[in-house]
Amino acid sequence: MITITINGKNIKLDEPMSVLKAAGKAGIKIPTLCHHDALETYGGCRLCVVEVERMPKLQNACTLIAADGMVITTESEVISKVRRGILELLLINHPLDCPYCDKAGECELQDLVDKYGPTVGRYTEIKRKVPASHKDEIFVRNMDRCVVCTRCVRMCNKVQGASAIDIIGRGNKSRMEPFSSASFNCEYCGNCLSVCPVGAILSRLYLHSFRPWQIDREVETVCSYCGVGCSVVVQVRDDSIKRVIPRFGLGLNNGLLCSRGRFGYEYINSEERLKEPLIRKNGKLEKSTWSEAIDFTAKKLTEIKNSHGGDAVAGIASPRCTNEDNYVFQKFMRMACGTNNIDSVSRMGFASAQKYLEDLLGQGVTSNMISGVKNADTILVVGGDPTAVNPILGLAVREAARNGAAVAVIGEAKGLEKFKTLKVVPPVFREAELLESLLSEVAEAKDPRNERPAVDQGISQLSGGSAGVDTGELKKILLDGKSISIILGSDLVQRANGHRALFAIAGLTYMLEARLTLLSDRPNEQGLIDMGCLPDTLPGGRPVTVHDFRDKFENEWNGTIPENEGLSLLEIIEGAENGNIKALYVMGENPAFNLPDSSSARKALESLDLLVVQDIFLTETAEIADVVFPSSGWAEKQGTYTNLERRIQLLNKAVGASSSMEDWKILKEVSIKMGYQMTYSSAEDVMDEIATVSPLYSDLTYREISAGHCLWPYHGKPLRGEINELPASAEAPEDYKEDLYLVIDKPLFHSGSLSRKSPALRKICPEPLLRIGPGHAQKLGLKDGDLVDVSTSKGGFDVTLSVDDCLGDGKVYLSNNFEDRGVLSLMGYRLDPVTKAPGIEGCAVKIQKKADSSAGSDKS
Amino acid sequence: MEKILLKNIENPNSADIREYQKTGGYQSISNAFEMQPRDVIEEVKSSGLRGRGGAGFPTAMKWNFANADPKFPKYLVCNADEGEPGTFKDRPILEKNPHLLIEGMVISGYALRAEYGYIYLRGEYPLAKDILDNAIAQAREKNYLGENILGKNVKFELSVYQGAGAYICGEETALIESLEGKKGQPRSKPPFPVNVGAWEMPTIVNNVETLSNVPYIIAIGGEAYSKIGREDCTGPKLYCVSGHVVKPGVYELPMGTNLRDIIYKHAGGIKNNKKLKAVLPGGISTPVLPADRIDCLMDFISMPKHGSMLGSGAVIVMDESVCMVKVAHRALKFFEHESCGKCVPCREGTGWLRQILGRIESGKGKQGDIELLSDITDIMSGRTFCPLGDGAAGVVTGMLRHFRDEFEEHIKSGHCKLSIDN
Amino acid sequence: MFNETVLKEIDGIRAKYPDARSALLPSLYVAQREFGWLSPEAMTCVAKTLNLPEAMVRGTASFYAMFRHNPVGRNVIQLCTNVSCMILGSDRLLDLLKSRFDLEPGETTKDGRFSLVIMECIGACGTAPAMLVNTDFHDNLTEQNLEEIMGKYK
Repeated sequence: MITITINGKNIKLDEPMSVLKAAGKAGIKIPTLCHHDALETYGGCRLCVVEVERMPKLQNACTLIAADGMVITTESEVISKVRRGILELLLINHPLDCPYCDKAGECELQDLVDKYGPTVGRYTEIKRKVPASHKDEIFVRNMDRCVVCTRCVRMCNKVQGASAIDIIGRGNKSRMEPFSSASFNCEYCGNCLSVCPVGAILSRLYLHSFRPWQIDREVETVCSYCGVGCSVVVQVRDDSIKRVIPRFGLGLNNGLLCSRGRFGYEYINSEERLKEPLIRKNGKLEKSTWSEAIDFTAKKLTEIKNSHGGDAVAGIASPRCTNEDNYVFQKFMRMACGTNNIDSVSRMGFASAQKYLEDLLGQGVTSNMISGVKNADTILVVGGDPTAVNPILGLAVREAARNGAAVAVIGEAKGLEKFKTLKVVPPVFREAELLESLLSEVAEAKDPRNERPAVDQGISQLSGGSAGVDTGELKKILLDGKSISIILGSDLVQRANGHRALFAIAGLTYMLEARLTLLSDRPNEQGLIDMGCLPDTLPGGRPVTVHDFRDKFENEWNGTIPENEGLSLLEIIEGAENGNIKALYVMGENPAFNLPDSSSARKALESLDLLVVQDIFLTETAEIADVVFPSSGWAEKQGTYTNLERRIQLLNKAVGASSSMEDWKILKEVSIKMGYQMTYSSAEDVMDEIATVSPLYSDLTYREISAGHCLWPYHGKPLRGEINELPASAEAPEDYKEDLYLVIDKPLFHSGSLSRKSPALRKICPEPLLRIGPGHAQKLGLKDGDLVDVSTSKGGFDVTLSVDDCLGDGKVYLSNNFEDRGVLSLMGYRLDPVTKAPGIEGCAVKIQKKADSSAGSDKS
Repeated sequence: MEKILLKNIENPNSADIREYQKTGGYQSISNAFEMQPRDVIEEVKSSGLRGRGGAGFPTAMKWNFANADPKFPKYLVCNADEGEPGTFKDRPILEKNPHLLIEGMVISGYALRAEYGYIYLRGEYPLAKDILDNAIAQAREKNYLGENILGKNVKFELSVYQGAGAYICGEETALIESLEGKKGQPRSKPPFPVNVGAWEMPTIVNNVETLSNVPYIIAIGGEAYSKIGREDCTGPKLYCVSGHVVKPGVYELPMGTNLRDIIYKHAGGIKNNKKLKAVLPGGISTPVLPADRIDCLMDFISMPKHGSMLGSGAVIVMDESVCMVKVAHRALKFFEHESCGKCVPCREGTGWLRQILGRIESGKGKQGDIELLSDITDIMSGRTFCPLGDGAAGVVTGMLRHFRDEFEEHIKSGHCKLSIDN
Repeated sequence: MFNETVLKEIDGIRAKYPDARSALLPSLYVAQREFGWLSPEAMTCVAKTLNLPEAMVRGTASFYAMFRHNPVGRNVIQLCTNVSCMILGSDRLLDLLKSRFDLEPGETTKDGRFSLVIMECIGACGTAPAMLVNTDFHDNLTEQNLEEIMGKYK
């Protein structure tokens, strides 16, 4: 124990730390411009001087380690004089343009000068002039305001790990560069913005649009983009979102955000938001009233249910909606419509993977914490890039790597290129075999565990074949690990034999006693599963086919639950295609765009007797719907999300949305009209019911969620057991002999439906890019920026080529984020027989350079 | 005094290993290998050797700190970033006596159980780079470097790392940063390099001249060595004299030689029969001494008593024709150029001082400028991250202390009475 | 990109240090030699070869005075003007370079023959004033011998 005295106050410290930090802990603020708790110590500004007894000179509190018995004074005449001097030096080149500067009011330099600064400067020479740079779409750089504290650089290099900026020059010619147009791999996280103490780095999103003191209110909530669930503060003025910022000390992201979270909020204010219910009349969607739309929907659904049975109805829930929305959704489908045909796009990755992994290893197996990843000594990343899909989780991987963890990547993970210890790229679509051979090698090196019969059985049945790549080094890294985290992305799930890769991952997790994280590109995939938006599972992960569970819910819900499993996502679409499904209820999802073979999906949806869509935009799906309800968006409603760690977090309403209604409320109104009573008057009421019926959320209340730490299983009991026997496996792997395959890309700057309505994200990345490796591009005679025609057996369109040095040959990457040019529209699929996830691998593709001028003459 | 560091340098082939061996070179390695590493350190301790880079820290004490750290590998880095203006003492060793340095490093590496050595050589010494590379190749060929040196189980790998024009890299932590491929910006201490240095491992940074003393200490023993020079400041010292003297050059003299003797006895006095005006005794970072204050012993302990410092032993002699405002202005131009930019007082202070001095020199000085200069130096002194900023402030303070009237005269009359061009 | 020989040379440099970053300064020297100056392309090559972030390479390179960030002439005159050289007349040499060769600090002659860089002490104070032309030392300079020396560099 170290005891020090600061300003007469005794402070006890459990561990050595700087005097600055110790003072902070005791609530004593020592001024500084360069120090930031989230960053490594720098010691550049010299403002944090303190007097220490028995030390002749003033000391810098940031670099001075508190030693037992130190007696420290943080404010005195001598200290103030030094601070005044330093501030005078800082101001000699700093423009005094506070009335014009956006930072005024929250500028740390301004505050310090106000407290300690000289009233007049004595500098009469010519000030250094650097013109402001407006070149970038997002950041405005005012380098004459820069105080060279290097917080932004330390943030970018040591925390974000993008290393996109640095100080150029030295001495008083130092400048931060570059901040422009994603050069040098800028990830547009904007975390530099958060730490800049002055107005040197500003956001264009709100430039000159308000003053910090004009904010009406601040609302803490959770980001709407991915499964990490970062805490954000929404700042509101005149009932409109002015700014979304993270806050140090708040949430699991602790002050950090990614580009989507920080700059992607503008969709809420979009002019394109749906403003009133629409009903299709004479083939056209026309404005309607809430009561007409609700009556119409209830009537049509009842008709279909009565004439074709409940199983002619299906529902697609949304991992973008809250737990409350999804809970009410599945209850509505089961009780009002009488069907278990409930699924979501989470089937395409997260939900499928989790179900099978839990079958093998027990419920909760994927509940690794992000802090667990941070503290791992070995990390295996496979099937996706955590830095793009779940950026803040990606930062945990980078942090672990910086702290010496071995990071092994199978396949591509561009954002880990400078952090990985080892990258293994198997031949195209042969990851499952690589993982299987890795597993058999690992299992051989380890003692048998004999705890999970199905897994043990599966391991003993491994053929020991190889994918044609050496796994020796990979094996060594894994066997050397003491605390291993495995991160699995959806790429491997979206395979016709995806369950094989999943089994191998389960086997590795089991043999290595690793922790497992599933990447999740939507904010509430876990919650959606917990809420029972699955064809085979009731809330809390209880199988719908088990009578006792059904019975319990039937008692709670006062009705009958169909006893058969419902259809999964793609089966629902196929059902619509073959006429078995007559009505589809879609909440916050866009199946006409977000599913593989999307033109067939769209056709199937068009053939429905009734398509109901609740959404915030007129999506491709809403365009062909019979009824469209405008629902409330994120920031307009209260509710909860459960993140990929299974942390339950509260969303708060920040702005009002006069013309929309919460999703659960729309469902409730339709349900009541259909004759099934619902009585919730708020989202909190819904949560109260969830807490009663779901064994995983027992006793949960909003008050406890707001207090934090509501981690799965909250007071709950995971009950569902593992399977004892493996389901029948799939066919032998195919030979992928095509020259080039199309695969789905999950970029950092876009997520699809929301990001494409966010101007800032569209400025950062305005169009889809077809990524290709330099070798293959050269082979095809193509170069970066070429406009190419990309085509598969399902269709084609034009897209800009981006040559990416990180990529190998044989695959091109395209995202599914932009209107008319989604990769899924070019892909067919085959269902994995075990997980029911659509396998979209093996999509042969041709790319051809568009002739610039002769395009017209080709069409004769 | 017998030449120890500059021994044999008149021989045009002195850099060749055969010539070096002819005069007893590399024999200290075998002697040292007969001793236990810790006894080598003890020998250096009894010699009283102090670091020649400027601070005069006892070498064996530094070595013992590194030795006590249990982490391995340890690195031995030779600071050959001789950048202090006026300093050219290491250059003759590097260019003419490279094997002396190599031998010193091999012995020091053995004593410190460091198997890797780097010579951080300033980029401005391209000739020394070639000579060192060549000497290292020769030494490796003769098995003074590499594995199993002289058949003993001792390994020492040595290579030259070329700096690229940054004075600050003479500061040991900045040097380490630079060696790691970073900007040469100083690190905060503690931890000290002897515990957490290059690549986070214990690292001993010693000056060229310091390491070059080691073979001789081993040859004659620490006790005998300590008889050279003065008590507490022992050994030979290289003084480099430049400016208005008859015989500028590097002089190897006992530590603590009188400054007046250095100038008048060894360097031949002031040339062209002019009068001495001032001396910068240890490079431009050391406070100026006026002509009537040069009766002082040039060592680490005596010089501070005379209001200056030994520094690198770079004696810049200025005659009566030199304008002190101009010298101060040029010095501050240097410090502004070399300030790494890490800490505010140095980054902003050097530039401000330079601008004011520039105005005064060009006749645009204002009333109050002198007070402002001294206020700025007050803000800077003791507040900068490393000694560079202190040095910059010290130059101005020293000039104002001894030549204030010259500054006042400039401000008053708007021009300089002297011209160095006469 | 660098050719095979240069890549091999950089590999050799890398082997001397525990990590790739330490090879940065030596590799920048190699790039400067290959490209004549540290053009953006040259720095990109270094970044790619060492797998270091490009901004970091540019930032580090910009810190050091001996890396050239603009194209230079065939011969680089590095004239010291620090105190020891100054008091022995380096100003006159500067004047001469300007009047005789139309050469200003930081600039290159129109014919691309010379570039002039002002140096902060090149360790030749005992034989001041002094300069480096490319990697050759020239000291005890006077207005007369400066012209002669310049004549040797074409």
